[in-house]
Amino acid sequence: MTNVYIEGIGMTKFGKFVDKSMKQLLVEASIEALEDAGNPKVDAVFVGNFMGGSIGNQEILSALVANELGLGYIPTAKVEGACASGGIALRQGIIGILSGEYDTVLIAGVEKMKHASTADVTQAINAAMDNDSNEKQAGLTFPGFFGVLANRYFYETEATKEHLAMIALKNRENALNNPLAQFQKPTTMEEIMEARIITSPLGLFDCSPTTDGAAALVITRKKGAIHIRSSAQSSGPTQMQDADDLLSLPAVRESGRLAYEKAGVGPEDIDVVEIHDCFSMTEMLAIEELGFFNKREGWLAVEQGRTKATGDKPVNTSGGLLSRGHPIGATGVAQMYQLVQQLRGTAPNQVEHARLALAQNLGGTGSYSTVHILERL
Amino acid sequence: MKVYQCDQCEYASVSNKYRCPSCRTGQLQEQDVSSKGSVYSYTNIHIAPAEFAHLAPYTVALIQLDESKAKVTARTDGNVEIGDVAELDYVEDGAYIYRKC
Ligand SMILES: [Zn+2]
Repeated sequence: MTNVYIEGIGMTKFGKFVDKSMKQLLVEASIEALEDAGNPKVDAVFVGNFMGGSIGNQEILSALVANELGLGYIPTAKVEGACASGGIALRQGIIGILSGEYDTVLIAGVEKMKHASTADVTQAINAAMDNDSNEKQAGLTFPGFFGVLANRYFYETEATKEHLAMIALKNRENALNNPLAQFQKPTTMEEIMEARIITSPLGLFDCSPTTDGAAALVITRKKGAIHIRSSAQSSGPTQMQDADDLLSLPAVRESGRLAYEKAGVGPEDIDVVEIHDCFSMTEMLAIEELGFFNKREGWLAVEQGRTKATGDKPVNTSGGLLSRGHPIGATGVAQMYQLVQQLRGTAPNQVEHARLALAQNLGGTGSYSTVHILERL
Repeated sequence: MKVYQCDQCEYASVSNKYRCPSCRTGQLQEQDVSSKGSVYSYTNIHIAPAEFAHLAPYTVALIQLDESKAKVTARTDGNVEIGDVAELDYVEDGAYIYRKC
């Protein structure tokens, strides 16, 4: 129990915004979250961001927010944890409140990626790997890591590329109902299966897109309707060749275990889930690591439709990273945006009577993972 | 092939560490083992970062060494399948280049 509550949420549409600066996106989402919370006094700001410096030449993001919004001379910081930057920013805010230092904290996440070329973005994302290694020199990429995992998963189970396609299709179908999602064009199994290969066996639809966007939250110690029941974070191997079990993401497993323990609930109690599906294969492993399904059996649950919005364990009702979009630093915060809506009863693909919700945010090739469990009071 | 083997437990890696990440007490000792191994898994990379774009498409494989618990991430000369036997061909810019035996 953290006794920290989410009071306000905000999010820009995800997509391509050539005419908007990173600062603009960040400020828009923040204003929306502050207004949703009734414009409280804010004691600190944490911003999740990954490549603002490398491809946008823009740092000092958290000071920009405080300044643009007239929040005063309060402490602020940018938090970097690759694709888990948003989840870790949220966790830093929670810890700040738990410590007694702050009453109310503004959390935001942002990324602006669409202006850069695919090669440059791939290069920048590779900063989330251990680059002082023979592994990097071999030419392994970030998507490549999950391609290697997928081929091994197919080898050890009866899963095929079609099961990954089912995940991609499910998340696209969910995104069709989410007005803020990047992809709102329907697709088919056929189109997904025949799309060009990025890194075998993963095709275009198995990989999250590059995205511009921002999301924000106001968290506070003042009791409200949405309680952050637990917050947990773990690290994992930073190189593929050092994985003890290639088909395990220890950071996901451990952060999940800690979050359940702190919340006093188990995977069976969770009503709705946002998972870090940077690749279709990542969702497959995460639903197993978080204990929703047995190891090496996630594909069966996918085949049976159990993770659809209408299934018994709805995963990524927002459309996930694959179809809602993945502005890296904003993703962990955007997951919260969707789950708070689910608990308020106002979400796209609303799950009936949702009371407990779980978000898992991954950084690097399994280097970081955060898990937050929310509860409707 | 150089591997680093823990003097207290089974842990082995091709990269040296400050101390054994598995038992957290052992020291890693350098050992020379055969580069021979089998393909544990692989991917054919079609979309590459700027610095490797000229090689694309290329194959990166995870090789399970025969004489050590360690695995090694390598680029392979040509396509491979899981279970293929492979060995080190040469080292280039810090990358291990393997080929099928
Ligand atoms: Zn050891």
